Order: sequence, then C-alpha cells, then structure tokens
Amino acid sequence: MGSCLISADTNFDRGGARGATSVEVSTWSKADTLRTLIAAGIVASLLFAAFLLSGKEGTGANAAFSLLLGAALGITLERGRFCFFCIFRDAIEDRDTTPFLSILSAIAVGAVGYAILFGQFLPDTSTDRLPPNAHIGPVSLILVISGLVFGLGMALSGACISGHLYRIGQGSIRAYPALLGSLLGFGLGFKSWNLLYSKSISGAPTSWLPHKFGYAGALLITLIVVAIIALLAIKWGKNSTPIANPVPASLNSVSLRNSLIVTRWRPLTTGAIVGVIGTIAYLRIEPLGVTRQISTTSRTYFEGKSWIPQNLDGLDLMAGCIAVVSDAITNNGWLILGLVVASFAAALAGNRFKWQQITWRNGLTALLGGIFLGWSSMIALGCTVGVLLSGTQSFALSGWVFFATVFFGSWMGIKLKLHKI
Amino acid sequence: MNKAVSVRTKRVIAALVSVGLLAGISVNTAVAAPKNLARSVVQADWLEKNLDNPDVKIIEVSTEAGLYERGHIKNAVKLNWYTDLVEVVNRDIVTGTRFQKLARAAGINKNSIVVLYGDKNNWFAAWGAWIFNTYGIEDVRLLDGGRVKWEKDGRAFTTTVPTPKDGNFVATKADKSVRATLIRDVLPAVRKKGSSDIVDIRSADEYSGKIFAPAGFQELAVRAGHIPGAVNVPWGSNVNTDGTFKTVAELKKLYSDKGIDGKKPIITYCRIGERSSLTWFVLSEILGYEVKNYDGSWTEYGNGVGNPISNPAGTIWGAA
Repeated sequence: MGSCLISADTNFDRGGARGATSVEVSTWSKADTLRTLIAAGIVASLLFAAFLLSGKEGTGANAAFSLLLGAALGITLERGRFCFFCIFRDAIEDRDTTPFLSILSAIAVGAVGYAILFGQFLPDTSTDRLPPNAHIGPVSLILVISGLVFGLGMALSGACISGHLYRIGQGSIRAYPALLGSLLGFGLGFKSWNLLYSKSISGAPTSWLPHKFGYAGALLITLIVVAIIALLAIKWGKNSTPIANPVPASLNSVSLRNSLIVTRWRPLTTGAIVGVIGTIAYLRIEPLGVTRQISTTSRTYFEGKSWIPQNLDGLDLMAGCIAVVSDAITNNGWLILGLVVASFAAALAGNRFKWQQITWRNGLTALLGGIFLGWSSMIALGCTVGVLLSGTQSFALSGWVFFATVFFGSWMGIKLKLHKI
Repeated sequence: MNKAVSVRTKRVIAALVSVGLLAGISVNTAVAAPKNLARSVVQADWLEKNLDNPDVKIIEVSTEAGLYERGHIKNAVKLNWYTDLVEVVNRDIVTGTRFQKLARAAGINKNSIVVLYGDKNNWFAAWGAWIFNTYGIEDVRLLDGGRVKWEKDGRAFTTTVPTPKDGNFVATKADKSVRATLIRDVLPAVRKKGSSDIVDIRSADEYSGKIFAPAGFQELAVRAGHIPGAVNVPWGSNVNTDGTFKTVAELKKLYSDKGIDGKKPIITYCRIGERSSLTWFVLSEILGYEVKNYDGSWTEYGNGVGNPISNPAGTIWGAA
C-alpha cells in the first residue's frame, strides 16, 4: 500500500493513505468531540467573517465570496489530501496511482464546467479572442523550463504552493520557510521577467484549443486525454490502493461522521469537488489560483525597495495569477486565508493536526525549494492550481505543458532523492 | 456639409423633447424621462421598463475584463473599448466600416435609441457615446450612474448573452465637429488665444506639471504640464459620489466658474482622450455646447516636438 510516511511533513495520521484502506474502527473520544466543536467554531467564524466582509462597500462582496471559496478549497484539499507532490510521489515511488485520479477528476469536471461558462462568456470561438481572465498562457521554452523547476522545487520543499498552504493547517513548519522562499523566488522572477519576456515569451503562441476545435471538440479532446492518462496510470499503478474506502455496513451518524471528517475523501470525489470549486471561482471571481497574493506581496515589497524593474513588459496583458501593485488584500489573499484556516479546522476535527518537526537541513531545503517554486510560478504565471488545473480546465495548451513538465520535474527530483535530503 | 446641420437639428430636437412637445410624435414611443432637461441621460427606472423595447439597444462598455460576462443588464451587448472602438495598430478611433459592422451586429437600426453604460462613472461608456456620435447615431444616451449605481440599487443582472438580429444602421463619415486634432484644432486654438476654451480634465497634479501621470498608468508624455490656456476641471467633478451626473444648473456653474459658458467652441482632453470623453458628453450632450474631444490628448501634445506648453511646477523629464 502507498505510504506517505517518508518525511515528517507528509505524515498523515488517521485518514491518510493508511486509514484509507481499512474501515475505521470508531474510537471517538471526548477529546474528539471537543476538537470537532472547536473546528465547527472556526468554520462558523469564517462564515461570520465573510458576512462582515460582504457589507463592505465596493469590493466587499467579492472578498467575502473569495474567503468562502478558499474555505471550501482548504477543507477539500485537506480531507482529500490533494497535494500534487504527494500524489506524484505515490505514483512514482510507490506505484500507487489511485490518488493521481483525483487530479484527472478535477481536470475533467472543471473542463465540463468551463465549457458551460465559456459557451456563454464567449459564444463565438472563430475570432481570435480569448474568454476574459481565463488562464490561457503563452507556450514557450520558458514555460517548459519553469515547469521543470517547479517540479524540482516541489521535491525539494516537499509540496507545491497550494500543498504548503493547506499543510500549514495541519501543523507543518516547513511550509513557512517554503512560502518565504517563494516570496523571494517571485522577486527573482520579476527580476528575470523582462529578459525572458523579450527573448522568448513575447513571441510565444497562446494556444487555446477551442480556437481550432470549438468547445465541443476541445472538451472531447480534454476528456480523451484524461482517459488515456487514467489508463496509463492504472497500468503503472501496481500497488494502487483501492479506489474507495470500504463502505460502512450501515448508515448512521457515526459512519457519516467518519467519512466526513476522519477517513480520507475518495480521490474521484475530491477531484470533482475541486473541479466544481474551480468552475464557481471562474464564474464569480476569477480562475482558481493561489499565487496572485504571494506575487502581489512580493512585487509590492521589492518594488518599494527598487530591487525589481517598475515596468514588467507585457505582464499586465497576460492572463494568470499576476501581481498587481497593491498594499490591500486582494481577493486571492482572502481565498488563501480561508484555505489555511479551513484546512486547520478540517485537520483539527479529524485529529490530524500535529506540529511537525523541522531541522536546519529540511528547513533550508524547504527555503530553497520555495525559491524554485516562486521563481517558476512567477514565470509560468501561476502554479499547479493556477496554470495546471485552471489552465487545463480552460483548454489552454499551456496548462497541459505545465502538467507534463511539472510531473517530469518531480520525477527527476524524486529520482535524485531531493525529497530525502 | 450637412453634418453641422444635423448636429444643430439634434439639439433642436433635444430642446423640443425636453419641453415634452415631441413625446407624442416621436418615432419611439419610449422617450426617456428627461433628467435635468437633458434627454441624453436615462434613468435606471426608465431603462428597467424598456429592457425589452425593440427600439432600445443597450450597450455595455466597461474597463474591467470579465465584468460583463459575470453579469450585465438584460439584453445588453458588450463592446470592448480597446479592441472594438479603436484601431489597435494605428493609434486611431475605429474605422467607419468596422464600426458599422459592429453596430449592426449589436442590432442597431437607423432609429434606435442607444443606451450605453459601464463601470467607473461611465468612463468608457462615454468614450463609446463619443464614437457613436462620431459615426452619426442620432440618439445616444448614457445610463445615469452606470453599472455601479444599477448594482447598488439592487437591480437585476443576467449572464445570458443576447443574440440580436442584424440592424440596418449606416455609418456616416466621421463627424469632424466632435473630434479635435492637433494640427486642425488644438495648435490653432493655442496660437489664437481666446478663440476656443480648452478643458484639461486630468488631476490637478498632472495639470500643474507636478507629476507626469498618476501611478500605474503606462501611457506617458515625456513633458509635464498642460496645453497653454487650458483650464483644469477634473473629470470626476461632473458626477456625484454615486456616479450620477450633477444637475444641469450645477454643471453650468461648475464650468462657468472656470470661464466656460459655451459661447466659444470647446476642446476637451486628458491623457489619451478617454476620461475627457465624459466631459465632452457633459458639455456637448447635456449642456448643448459646441465641443470637440481631443483624443490625441496629452500623450500626443506633450510628446510633440516644439508644441508650446505650460508647466507651472517645472518638472523636467529625467531631471527628477
């Protein structure tokens, strides 16, 4: 069976890969009740915070909605262990590809959702227009390189950016140097942007499948590609865990409680929820992504220090998780706050919150890996959520290129044993 | 040219409508309740009642991407100001041929009432109104308060995109009486002092030459200051805090206090000619003055070699 107990930061107690294979024996204690009540209180305060935010004139409603989206995402990522690096490592190292299906499920469900929205947002695909705000980026050699670097950064730091964010809620300490590193990485990204832009990105095509195949064709192609990858994953997955936890014999409040907050959510369900959240995010605010706020904070800080150029060529005209110069909290900032807090609530209720030990060594690898993550997601205009998920869901070739290269980068990282340094 | 005649006719009609004489004989039974005796601004209540009126064509021109797609007024068609209403390669307004195609696709007929609205105090909706006027659409109005007010009033939005039947509108030649150019209008106005009133609608700091442009704006002129003789009336002063236009009396006073009373022809400008189209709209369509919008604006004028400028603050490019 898959083990995710290789390094401290991926330690997953109940509800982890282990828990997934056996019917939970209910050992509900008073402490569990207390933890769950506290978690419920945290969720309630998130709802209340959203309520307060929504009353703020102008941007309040969108900020509140972003907070709720983040909360939904945080709970889903935590409960389904939707961590790109863990999922890749399970597949590569343990040949357990069941978790991998959650990514495919997210892409498939999100692609259906995006096709529905696109059909209304941009009915005519025969012009060279692109749907508003969708994460459809230029496909260049630079994208390939940043995908590889991102994959290596994941291996070094132990997770991707969304992974680190929800792991904070589980008590990860390495997430902090990793996220600090990514702030620095973004700064390096801004520093190198103008050169890379003029050398490669500016001339790169922004390929969007519906321009050639229409929405029906693009969706069909996406689903076929997803199906082919699923078949390959099934073939590769010699040690795959069962696709679903054994179903409890009876439906009662204990079994419901267990499947909601204790056992790991099924990969297909988790992915489908992520796909739905992505669709709703695009409908109401902007495509799902987790780096816009980090990018904004980094850009504002470094620009204030005059360390990065004030003019970033062409950046404002691109689509993705792109920084704005702002001291205010962006919608994305609220989303991240909701994500971290809700993940904490979910982890607490399921008794998965544990402070995880950090050493100088793995703290430094997290920092270095974070720099890799930051640089590459600045250059690629997003990370595994913003480019990989939101990109593939919106039929962008850039999303698929990033998917392939991030996977290959992680594979290299794992073969080089970067995650075990 | 009968262009001037048509402009005058338009004003006469406006005056007639405003006293309610034409209400019965107008081709369109739905005549907007005149605000401030000006028929060029429609109120949300009126628009809400006329959403399905086939004579009324609603157009959204917003700056923020994705705003229209996530909700717009029923039956509104979206126009994108920076691709639909300009020529993207040459710096120019959209050509007549392209504009006609665009207007027809939006279902606009010869006799349509075109109602424009948008975000940010109708900033680009006013630019749209200016372009629509340039190509001879007779009845162009702005929704008072634009998108923001509509939303704040709790009125409905939809995400359904209308599919209008092609209209039969025929674009006229671009009307030179509403558009100022550097050579033909602006430089002569500067040289012959007192021949025209020039309104600079940018912020006081841009006008005085303290700054080149507000933070975050990409299009710049390498010189600071303003066109000699221009008076500064920032564009935001045309509207109330909720984005609705001030009353005619307030607007008249706002401009007459600066010495602009409509007796002389007026030229409005800003940085790239977009915000100034709102002031053009106020002076031309609401107050009925003779106004040209200078879309070259400060990025053309201030960059032009040898153009005389006034720079009270004395900021010099590169010297700071």
